[in-house]
Amino acid sequence: MSRRLALVAVAAVLLQPLTFTQSASVVQPGTSPLIVFRILFTTGSASDPAGKEGLASLAAAMLAEGGSRSRTYQQIVEAMYPMATSVNWQVDKEMTVFTGTSHVENLDGFYALMRDMLLDPGFRQDDFTRVRDDAVNFLKVSLRESNDEELGKEYLYDLIYAGHPYGHHNRGTIASLQKLTIDDVRAFYREHFTRANLVVGLAGGYPKGLDAKVESDFAALPAGTASKKTFDAPPMPAGSTIAIVTRDTRSTAISMGFPIDVNRSSPDWPALAVATSYFGQHRSSNSYLYGRLREARGLNYGDYAYVEYFPRGMFQFTPDPNLARQQQIFQIWIRPVEVNTGVFTLRAALYEYGKLVRDGLSREAFEATREFLTKYSNILTQTQSARLGYALDSRYYRIGDYNTYLRDALAKLSADDVNRAIQRHLAPNRMRIVIVTKDPKPFQDAVARNTPSPITYNSPKPKDIMDEDAVIQAYRIDVKPADVTVVPVDKVFQ
Amino acid sequence: MKARRWIVVTVFALVGIGAWYLRPATGETAGANLFTYPYSVDDLPNGLRLVTVPTDYPNMVALYIVVRAGSRDEVEPGKSGYAHLFEHLMFRGSENFTPRQRDDIMKRAGADTNASTNQDRTTYYVVFSKEDLDEVMKVEADRFQRLKYAEPAFKTESLAVLGEYNKNSAEPTQKLDEALYETAFTRHTYAHTTMGYLEDVQDMPNQYAYSLEFYKRFYTPEYATVLLVGDVTRERALELTKTYFGGWARGSYAPNIPAEPRQTEPRTAHVDWPSPTLPWVAVAFKGPAYSDTAKDKPALDLLSPMAFGPNSDLYKQLVLEEQKVDDLGADFGNHPDPELFTVYARVKNVKDLDGVRDRILATFARFTREPVDQAKLDATRSRMRYSFALRMNSSPAIAAALAPYILLTRTPDTINKVFALYQQVTPDDMRTMAAKYFTDNNRTIVTLTPKAGTK
Repeated sequence: MSRRLALVAVAAVLLQPLTFTQSASVVQPGTSPLIVFRILFTTGSASDPAGKEGLASLAAAMLAEGGSRSRTYQQIVEAMYPMATSVNWQVDKEMTVFTGTSHVENLDGFYALMRDMLLDPGFRQDDFTRVRDDAVNFLKVSLRESNDEELGKEYLYDLIYAGHPYGHHNRGTIASLQKLTIDDVRAFYREHFTRANLVVGLAGGYPKGLDAKVESDFAALPAGTASKKTFDAPPMPAGSTIAIVTRDTRSTAISMGFPIDVNRSSPDWPALAVATSYFGQHRSSNSYLYGRLREARGLNYGDYAYVEYFPRGMFQFTPDPNLARQQQIFQIWIRPVEVNTGVFTLRAALYEYGKLVRDGLSREAFEATREFLTKYSNILTQTQSARLGYALDSRYYRIGDYNTYLRDALAKLSADDVNRAIQRHLAPNRMRIVIVTKDPKPFQDAVARNTPSPITYNSPKPKDIMDEDAVIQAYRIDVKPADVTVVPVDKVFQ
Repeated sequence: MKARRWIVVTVFALVGIGAWYLRPATGETAGANLFTYPYSVDDLPNGLRLVTVPTDYPNMVALYIVVRAGSRDEVEPGKSGYAHLFEHLMFRGSENFTPRQRDDIMKRAGADTNASTNQDRTTYYVVFSKEDLDEVMKVEADRFQRLKYAEPAFKTESLAVLGEYNKNSAEPTQKLDEALYETAFTRHTYAHTTMGYLEDVQDMPNQYAYSLEFYKRFYTPEYATVLLVGDVTRERALELTKTYFGGWARGSYAPNIPAEPRQTEPRTAHVDWPSPTLPWVAVAFKGPAYSDTAKDKPALDLLSPMAFGPNSDLYKQLVLEEQKVDDLGADFGNHPDPELFTVYARVKNVKDLDGVRDRILATFARFTREPVDQAKLDATRSRMRYSFALRMNSSPAIAAALAPYILLTRTPDTINKVFALYQQVTPDDMRTMAAKYFTDNNRTIVTLTPKAGTK
């Protein structure tokens, strides 16, 4: 197998400004027989018109899961079947990306199909009905009724960004989806799938000139004006709140977070990346919170923390690229716990978060985490598709090659820098807490009366844990009783 | 459609057939072999096998250790879920490395490390930079030979397994599968899921002594294969394997896995789901075990996407045209014993559930009578070939693709053998095999609907 060699030698990240006549591109030519396309539009659900939430996602789904003008969707599926390819889509607040990988032997056929899908969509009514049904069922069944963790995590974003362009699920709401029409999709496509929003990503051993051909083909899109605008911090009042989503479920899922004024382009981002990796590296036993909640106490399956949006985390170990956002939140994800330990676990998470803010990282923890992140970026970018995705994100954030950027930034960082960044960004008293559970009462009581939530174990625990438990079981949840709301699940994403 | 029976500590998407990478190795003819990376197989005197696959992906190494212990090996009643429990316990420390010390080493290495369990195997992996190879091998070798956990740590970890059960429990297909397998299998251990029954999971904290016995049975060199893929040479891999795993003592246990008696009647089961959901139907037939010498399974592997994949007539009708179903697909993994060929459908309206079931049955029946179209068969072979080529995009991806075959035969060579069989399968073979396996008396149907009264 041959492929391009250096992991970090991401070619030309073109930081050229967008113009109305020239589309931008990020190309990573190499020698791999696998050719990766990431066709990115800097538009997304934050551009959904009011009352038409879900339109950006529906438009993307219509392109990737609907027919082109010359071929029905079924004909496209049939043509791609022997190539084992497809065009996949992902819509986030500010980015819409279409991805596809073709073996070089099938490149011409695959590219022609993808080009027609994206540039000459069919917009058939039967495709529209199907993809809209899929969106409704995704919200109504897959999210509300099959995955308490993702339900809680996504609802947290809805709450934090209430009244903000980010303030609805990327797939929309059940009510808005039911009102959308195929004409809405056409209009959104015309306005947002434009050269002004386009960045072509291409990687692999493609024939010379393919990049120019793609750019020239996609120049057929209307010039348009850039959808990207400045998104302000969400208008969120101080003080913490709890929303309890009730449904018939056997366990209790907890997510919490608050907005931060930091994204990947901010000077403090590497410091917060270190802080959150130390506190709760995704799906890793190598983190503080996991050690305290799962490993020492067996409360659940895992406990993690984030400074960037990371959907579908229960299904994957590394984040998908092209979810870049101007506005991000700090988030703690507590995986489902037994109902009778729900309140204790919430207190434990808040207690540990309080300790992070109070004590920060030791020098030793800082050094180990820095070393981890420096090397781990090679894991994040080990496939060609991931490298291309990160390069597109780097272009968006204007930080240059991700691995180089991170390595250089980490090398300059000190434990004091990290601890100062924690103080600056992670210390506000405005946590939004989402709990998905059957019975809200224990949480309401814990807030209203500070009712203790003692815990018992099936095995003896060391003294330090028992001492800590004595503190945690009565740890004050700093939320006013009036700020605890109960939301039946059928009102969420409605 | 995802394989639903995986314990998702790690998800490796199962593809019906393995490493169809297209570049021929030096001196070989294109198309003659599927898996064309040069590899070596070395057996240690204690029964441990080392498979080394150097790739030209630089710097990174993927170490996979495949243990032939899965929920299939859980033969005692009340002891479902122990292979998976062990996957957890293996992170609880060994004689020379406490969990903290192991974590520190992995953290400094910037390693990605985890494990997964299914019916037939437990797979442990670490992905790391090549300069850390020696240390990673040393740490891994210690836990495979000298795992050491005290009873309190055992009890705590068993609660994390319960936490895993809990996080899965909101998903209706978990319950659908539990019902499907316990209905289809009456004696064989495939009757229970890898996660195990809730009551067994809840009893795990009381089974410390049994857990030690489980380790003694299966964590022995003859049950394990070390797979190293990436920026590594055979010499270095062998040297380190001998150094760190050479003293591992061979075991003597052979599980007595009960054979499943021949099914003599169609079976059905139903799950009442307590909260709102869309209804599901699963139609399953007992299929053949994995073999790289018989055509039975390759013929049905090829039929699976043709009959039920996104390009099938049924998919076109139910998903695209009539839009009665929003998820349709077949699951037919490779297993050492006969397992299930299952078609799953999520139905948009409960009134269509019986009709969808009947259409799935009619599709099975159709292929017992009609030979498939030769051009579609060729397209399917092409699809399988490229689908694997597209997966070969990193050393860990290659290791993940090999691991299931390592479990089955302990060598990547089986991939090339089974590929040769795929080339020989004819439309008539497919009809013959469909008629042999898709019989009424070999069938189990399970439905799941929201309990009356839920919206």
